[in-house]
Amino acid sequence: MFEQVALPHLDAVYTAALRLTHNSDDAKDLLQDSILRAYRFFDQFRLGTNCRAWLLTILYNNFRNSYRRRSREQLAATIEQFDHQAETRSLVDDPPVRNPEELIATRMAARRFEAVLNSLPSEFREVLVLVDVQELNYQEIADVLEIPLGTVKSRVSRARAMMRRAMLKGAVSRGKTGS
Amino acid sequence: MDCSEYVDKFLSAHADGELASRERRLAENHVGGCPECRTRLAEERSLKVLVRQHTNIVKVPAELRLRIRAAIGEMADPNFIGRNFAPRGQDSDRQLLWPVRQTRVWAPVAAAAAVLLFLAVYSGRSGTPAPTTQFHPVPVFDLAITKYDSLASYFVPNVPSDRNGSDFAWVMDRESGQPDAGMREDIGRSYSEADMLDDLFNFDPAGYQLSGGRLDRLADGRPVTYTLYRGTGNAILDIGLKDPQMSAPVGAVYWIGMRSFYQYKGYSFCLTFSPPGHFVSITLTRAPLTELIRDVALADAVATGDDR
Repeated sequence: MFEQVALPHLDAVYTAALRLTHNSDDAKDLLQDSILRAYRFFDQFRLGTNCRAWLLTILYNNFRNSYRRRSREQLAATIEQFDHQAETRSLVDDPPVRNPEELIATRMAARRFEAVLNSLPSEFREVLVLVDVQELNYQEIADVLEIPLGTVKSRVSRARAMMRRAMLKGAVSRGKTGS
Repeated sequence: MDCSEYVDKFLSAHADGELASRERRLAENHVGGCPECRTRLAEERSLKVLVRQHTNIVKVPAELRLRIRAAIGEMADPNFIGRNFAPRGQDSDRQLLWPVRQTRVWAPVAAAAAVLLFLAVYSGRSGTPAPTTQFHPVPVFDLAITKYDSLASYFVPNVPSDRNGSDFAWVMDRESGQPDAGMREDIGRSYSEADMLDDLFNFDPAGYQLSGGRLDRLADGRPVTYTLYRGTGNAILDIGLKDPQMSAPVGAVYWIGMRSFYQYKGYSFCLTFSPPGHFVSITLTRAPLTELIRDVALADAVATGDDR
């Protein structure tokens, strides 16, 4: 039963482990620890609920308890830093933007989008990945991160606002350079 | 509801489908009459798609996947004793698996464990644990028995067992009257060229001689190797195949690292997982299980030089 229900989510959980640890060796350790822990406590999983969310809850708990100190994260620590970085990046090598539609359709789909996403302060990036990539609902995210539901809502909202702001700043800065 | 309230309180949850029915009605009423917020909602949904597109799901490395599956098989089995041989980890779970960074040492560790087990069993300090869980038969064991019955009585090698590629098995050294020492190596090379596991057991110390190897295909087209060893009155057949999905069945009598031992329908089985390449080796014989454990332990000892 465990193999049928849980193991299909192995790749998704590994992806989350990589994002948490930023190190493939740590991610492998974290994954195997978490999956075996999940196996031991599989009787606590309620069939019919989201197994991926349950596995991610175990993974995050495990990370908080054992791995956090080992992880090395060199990301923007504050929103201000993020906004500054977004503006700086936009001065480098962005393609010309002709209108807002193009901004959404092309610029945000470019490599820069990834850089912007990865530069979000971790607590904001985390909720975006959990909701958009791992496809968890807000309550599941609250359970995984052990934060109130309201905090999840506000973080998602602020994270998207920051992304949008970063993109717009890029466009404005681009105009200023006159290139 | 005005635009500011919609953007601040509803927009993201609306795009994520997280609004309760009453809130959703309010939000949709507003968006229906406000082109600007309609555009914002479309952008918000585009952002979701872009985040998904730019955050790839990374596949778990094959050997880690296989190791996890094997460990789950071990944990499901109350007769599991392999943890006694694994390096000490942070907790009981970790002892079920060798740490990721030590994957390359698994064969010697398993071999050393086999020797320890062999000594324990034959010095009377430890007997075969009484099974508390019944073996759950898997189809591959029945197929292996069918193959054993046919190949042990009539075996025709089809891979070269000499360096010239012209002779097949039963190549005897003219002076000693023993099988050519290079035969194992040559068969292994043929397996390797077919992208199959090239590790052949050396059952010589156990009184078995290598008869030869076959490279065939299973019904689903996958390559499979058959290596036969003959002793006095008994034979051992080793079947090698690739199977990333296979995990150890519940009901093993012994666990030694990646090797698990079973008794089924009067046959003794040794199942070996080799994480690199997803290889599984099914070794079976009509000899008693304790003999197979001893023979595998001896072969592992030879492979790691512990017999010296």
